[in-house]
Amino acid sequence: MNQETLYQSAYNGTKGFTQQDVKTANATGFGAAADDFMERGIDLNEMLIRNKPATYFFRMNSNAMESSGIFSGDVLVVDRSIKATNNAIIVAAVNGELFVRRYNQSFKKAVLSADNKRFRDIVIDEFSQFQCWGIVTYVIHQLH
Amino acid sequence: MIAIVDCNSFYCSCERLFRPDLENKPVVVLSNNDGCIISRSDEAKALGVGMAGPYFKAKPIIEANNVAVFSSNYNLYGDLSWRVMETLRIMFSQNNVEVYSVDEAFINLDIIPLEQIEDVALQIKNTVEQWTGIKVSVGIAATKVLAKVANRLSKKNKAITNCIMVLNTKEKVDAALKQTSIDAVWGIGFSYAEKLLKYNINTAYDLSKKDITWAKKHLGGVIGIRLIQELKGIRSIQMKDELLNKKMIMTTRMFGAAVTDIKSIKEAVATYASRAAEKLRRQSCAAKTISVFLVAKQESHNASFNRGTTINTYTTLPVATSLTHQLIKPAIELVERLFEQGMVYKKAGVMLSDIVLDTSIQGNLFLSETKNKTRFLMDVMDNINFSQRGDVLKFAASGTTRNWKMQQNFHSPKYTSRWDDLCVVK
Repeated sequence: MNQETLYQSAYNGTKGFTQQDVKTANATGFGAAADDFMERGIDLNEMLIRNKPATYFFRMNSNAMESSGIFSGDVLVVDRSIKATNNAIIVAAVNGELFVRRYNQSFKKAVLSADNKRFRDIVIDEFSQFQCWGIVTYVIHQLH
Repeated sequence: MIAIVDCNSFYCSCERLFRPDLENKPVVVLSNNDGCIISRSDEAKALGVGMAGPYFKAKPIIEANNVAVFSSNYNLYGDLSWRVMETLRIMFSQNNVEVYSVDEAFINLDIIPLEQIEDVALQIKNTVEQWTGIKVSVGIAATKVLAKVANRLSKKNKAITNCIMVLNTKEKVDAALKQTSIDAVWGIGFSYAEKLLKYNINTAYDLSKKDITWAKKHLGGVIGIRLIQELKGIRSIQMKDELLNKKMIMTTRMFGAAVTDIKSIKEAVATYASRAAEKLRRQSCAAKTISVFLVAKQESHNASFNRGTTINTYTTLPVATSLTHQLIKPAIELVERLFEQGMVYKKAGVMLSDIVLDTSIQGNLFLSETKNKTRFLMDVMDNINFSQRGDVLKFAASGTTRNWKMQQNFHSPKYTSRWDDLCVVK
């Protein structure tokens, strides 16, 4: 728990993990052999949350990004600590509204484009209020 | 050097995080029960909305200027506070961060070379803002009191300071102290300031020029001496470790509307006792003394914002306990003792003290089996309530209708703790 390292950029999953959390069978008969090889089970937090204090969840409510696999009703994992690069899917605050779009910055302007032809590009010029809220790192989509 | 990192209008910043439409707009947050204004954005301050003033008095300004009003959403603020503190702990390691309040932390920067201090200050501000979305001000100086002075000034003229002030030279320290009136120094209250003014000490600078013998003679007590040392740049207030166990647990709320019947007060007090018992178990402790207090509404028209008379009484229990029902019972008896027919009450509270570590979970050898079972029952109850995020299981004594519940008419969603409350994007 006591990390002395400075500026450690991120850690995965649940920080409060201890060796006691590793499950063992504790069988009354045979069981010791398997217990020797037990390790930490799969924890979704490890994969989905790269940097816990900077990770937030959102709910998608449009089909603007369907071709990228983001459907209406999906949960978005958004990491604020990553810098927006071209082609990243971001949560953007434009003139007071939050959008999920693909980000592309060129010489004089930035364009937020949807992956769906029915949506018009949002062009960020010097008159728009724009802020990159965070980068979408994962989508959680329910199938069944 | 020591830094203090302080979130700017913290509660308002939290409310704005998922509401970009409120950026650069006036925002206020109200206290529990929507009574007073407890946080204002800079824009609201500029409109002349007073701090800690009653909401109804500011209502004309608020309505005329379309100020966004929020009930306090402590759920959200607690989560964002954790994120800010965690970011600082990741940057500087757990041992160097002292969480001072929900929106302030001291950081020990002794490991940072002096010539890098200004860069580090900027790095703190940028990283916290980037990661969490909460804007902070950073004050850095040789001692905690000086860091507080720096922090306060950094907020005064944000355009120039960029919310950062580093007092790393004697000239800067002196200039900052001269700009700080004595009552604005950390740890100096109203009456203490009055006392210092009599000695012709008007600014922090004046006080820093006094020597220890003078302080011993005129101020007496260790507080004055410590303050002067700190202002001179000599560390006298150390970094503190996290407070793991509270010595007193208090749960108190205003009623949503004035209450006159004993049944409602009993229900409210039973609810507060349950909440206090839950807090007690969270820190694995038990309490021996329980106090109950009632606050009566005063007989005048704008009475609800006067203090009102507080009556209280307490009971000492035969053994320290953390079991909810063992605390509800004496609490209700105390209500019966305090309650007066015909009085109008506006607030009640429960306080637990004489707190000891609860070893009953481990030391079960000496306890009868039934007692352990009830402790187990409490654990089951807490686990259900915490995992389901709400009072799913509660004692019937705490009531089902809860007419006395506090008003929260402008509550924002619990964006960070409920799946149903996630911020929606398109």
